[in-house]
Amino acid sequence: MDLDEIFKLMKKVNSIKIDSIEITADEIVINIPTLSPISIPQTPPIKKGIKKIVSPEEPKIEIPEVDWEPPVEKYRGYIREVQLGRPKSEGGRGKVIKIGGQRALYRFEEVQPNPPVVTFDIFDMPMPGLPKPVREYFQDVMEDPVEWAKKCVKEFNADMVTIHHISTDPKIKDTPPKEAAKLMEDLLQAVDVPFVIGGSGDPKKDPLVLEACAQVAEGERCLLASANLDLDYKKVADAAMKYDHNVLSWTIMDPNMARDLNRRLISHGLDGDRIVMDPTTCSLGYGIEFSINAMTRLRLAGLKGDELVNMPMSSGTTNAIGAREAWMVNPEWGDRRYRLPLWEITTGLTMLLCGVDIFMMLHPLSIAVVKEFGKLLVSKPGEIEVSTDNYQWIRA
Amino acid sequence: MAKKISAMDIYKLLPKTNCKKCGESSCMAFATKLQERKATLDECPILKSPKFEKNRKKLEELLSPPVKEVWFGYEDKKVVLGGEEVMYRYELTFFNPTAIGVDISDNLPEEEIKKRAKFVEDFVFERTGEKLKLDFIALRNASNDPEKFVRALKIIQENTKVPVALCSLNVKSIEKALDVVRSKPMIYGVTEENFSEMMRMLISKKRKDKKEFAVVLSSGNIKTLKGMVKASLQHGIEDLILDPHTTPENIMDTLDRFVMIRRSAIERGDKLLGYPILGLPINTYFYVLKGNNPIKQFVEELDKAAGIMEARTACAMLNRYGDGIIIHGTEVWELMPILALRQAIYTDPRKPQTVEPGLYPIGNPDENSPVIMTTNFSLTFYTVTGDFEKDGVTCWLLVMDTEGKAVDVAVAGGQYCGDNAKRLIEETKIGEKVNHRIIILPGLAAPVRGDIEEKTGWTCVVGTRDSSQVGEFLRKNWNRILEEWRAKQES
Repeated sequence: MDLDEIFKLMKKVNSIKIDSIEITADEIVINIPTLSPISIPQTPPIKKGIKKIVSPEEPKIEIPEVDWEPPVEKYRGYIREVQLGRPKSEGGRGKVIKIGGQRALYRFEEVQPNPPVVTFDIFDMPMPGLPKPVREYFQDVMEDPVEWAKKCVKEFNADMVTIHHISTDPKIKDTPPKEAAKLMEDLLQAVDVPFVIGGSGDPKKDPLVLEACAQVAEGERCLLASANLDLDYKKVADAAMKYDHNVLSWTIMDPNMARDLNRRLISHGLDGDRIVMDPTTCSLGYGIEFSINAMTRLRLAGLKGDELVNMPMSSGTTNAIGAREAWMVNPEWGDRRYRLPLWEITTGLTMLLCGVDIFMMLHPLSIAVVKEFGKLLVSKPGEIEVSTDNYQWIRA
Repeated sequence: MAKKISAMDIYKLLPKTNCKKCGESSCMAFATKLQERKATLDECPILKSPKFEKNRKKLEELLSPPVKEVWFGYEDKKVVLGGEEVMYRYELTFFNPTAIGVDISDNLPEEEIKKRAKFVEDFVFERTGEKLKLDFIALRNASNDPEKFVRALKIIQENTKVPVALCSLNVKSIEKALDVVRSKPMIYGVTEENFSEMMRMLISKKRKDKKEFAVVLSSGNIKTLKGMVKASLQHGIEDLILDPHTTPENIMDTLDRFVMIRRSAIERGDKLLGYPILGLPINTYFYVLKGNNPIKQFVEELDKAAGIMEARTACAMLNRYGDGIIIHGTEVWELMPILALRQAIYTDPRKPQTVEPGLYPIGNPDENSPVIMTTNFSLTFYTVTGDFEKDGVTCWLLVMDTEGKAVDVAVAGGQYCGDNAKRLIEETKIGEKVNHRIIILPGLAAPVRGDIEEKTGWTCVVGTRDSSQVGEFLRKNWNRILEEWRAKQES
């Protein structure tokens, strides 16, 4: 290769590396091309690095941009929607409530279609055992369940009412089913909200009482409470099918048991969309963790596609009032007027966050708080304007 | 759920010598314990040798939970936050109970600061043999004056040994407080606004003065929060806690952020969000106190309504991954449900809450004393024995093995039954200790009375529904019951 060729090549490229070359010349001139092939790219970072070590305070510390997407899951299943009550257009008394219908576990994944519902507990006879903080709201109506129901609706804006026919218990008054049905008729006349119909807990008597009440409430889409494995659940399911009602399927904190009972009810002919599950609410401090586990597992199984447990859930939140920390007079525990409702609120709220859709409760204050909280589940994230500064508490 | 580490993955890195020094029969058994977090690496002496340093490091990495464990306070009195591995307690267990902090304003007079600090230190609510307590003081720089802040901190430190959170957005205040603080504090907080300035000060305190602290990063935007974590880690600040803002007007937005952070960490393996979460129910308290009372139809006094609404926020956060909370209310009726809920959520579902079944003499019982039969569910047992002690009841208490179920559940589930009663009577030889054959059953056990009488041959008396009424019941009835029984035997 002669020099001319090398120069020609030099015009095309910026640098040429020549290995093992011998140059014999008197004088040699090499023109370095204007585009310098030599650069020292390392210099600035080294400089920066040195600066950093010398004085850590100098650079402004900034929040870097990062990637993050809300962790939204896809669910194969859904929670069934159950209708309570029947509109006037269909021959009912008016008020209709829907529960369930979720397609996601959390609100940020998908807003819940129906808010949780609270149903007021009332009893067919005065309840002397009711603690004073509850009694003081209902003292004037406890002799008359019809007035009691009216008060719940008018004064406390009840969405629903649960009538417990406790006097039908053979050990209490052994009121015949016919009489319970008469009261049921009066209650249906008095208020237009849907009803949960409860017995006394006597396994022999309850199916008879529920059947009689179901008959007089035909077409009103009540919730019959309850069908469970200790009684003739088929009779309860038959009454629901014959007179157009829903069934509360009650089991003890065991998701498999809930599944089993639902399977039996469905195979007996009851539509799965007519079932509400009650996996038992243990009160705060008395095993609430068992209820948390059972309800969470049921809700997740339902959303994952198990059609034997994808029913809305119910909670007997009133159980909380039976806890000694709620009802007992004890100066060391502070004022019972606040302690009792707070015990019920905490129990209810915990169940709400586990996925419960319908709450049976007693204290009007507890009900107001749980309902207010439940409304947030049907609001879109960010929909409610927030003006409070997160840091105000420091200077308050 | 995050990918579960198998015991085999752990075993591979262990010494495999089966030396038993950890107390387990084999390295495989130890691996299983490690996997279940029932043992720690420190229990293996061989792993401490230099030869195993690499393996130990790998094991530490493997076993570190997706939510980092962060502590503050004193070496011997710590608050530990985070360390969680699962989204739902039934999958494993939740480990570190939500730490509850109570605020103290630096504007208060000295006596008030002392009193409130003492209250936090001494408060205890006893349930089921466990003492439930408050965990830390959140000293807030209400004055915004660094001097006042430091003064209040000194008063607290001189009078108590409660871990402290230093709460101020004023960089000077935090800087000065760090100079006098005797423990590792939690610092609240680093915000989007003060980020650069506060971080620079903290970095310098850590590097130059070797100060230790946990830092709360605060933003209502999770992406920003994640960026803040990244920046903190780059500067060697690693003990982090996240405050995704508590909005009293819409607490569900707050809970959503809690869940999104926890799910990102545990189910999506996002390490930058794998830190404990701090909630501020105190925001709800002051929001209601300012006149936003949603329950005024029932509770007009603003401070009482604020306490109820604050507790409701606190309980929601306990249910939704709050690892630490700061509250203002100190009424016992407000604290009780919060503490009881925390106790429930953080009990280990892997072991039932039971006591040893058997015979427990209460007081100094003799051959004429009543025999009462309860269950081995620890809550039942401690409630019953607590009540008996308070009321001076003397009796023989039979504790039946109901697999840790309460009376009503055990009756329904078939554990509280005649066969089990018969076995208990035989094993405890109670028949040799008393000269009667009467058992008093709890009110809730009435349905199984017949079964128990039939199987045991003892006479059953249905007692009260609640153990607090047993003392009165016995005083009124025991002698009569005993006499009637004896008369019946003679006839």
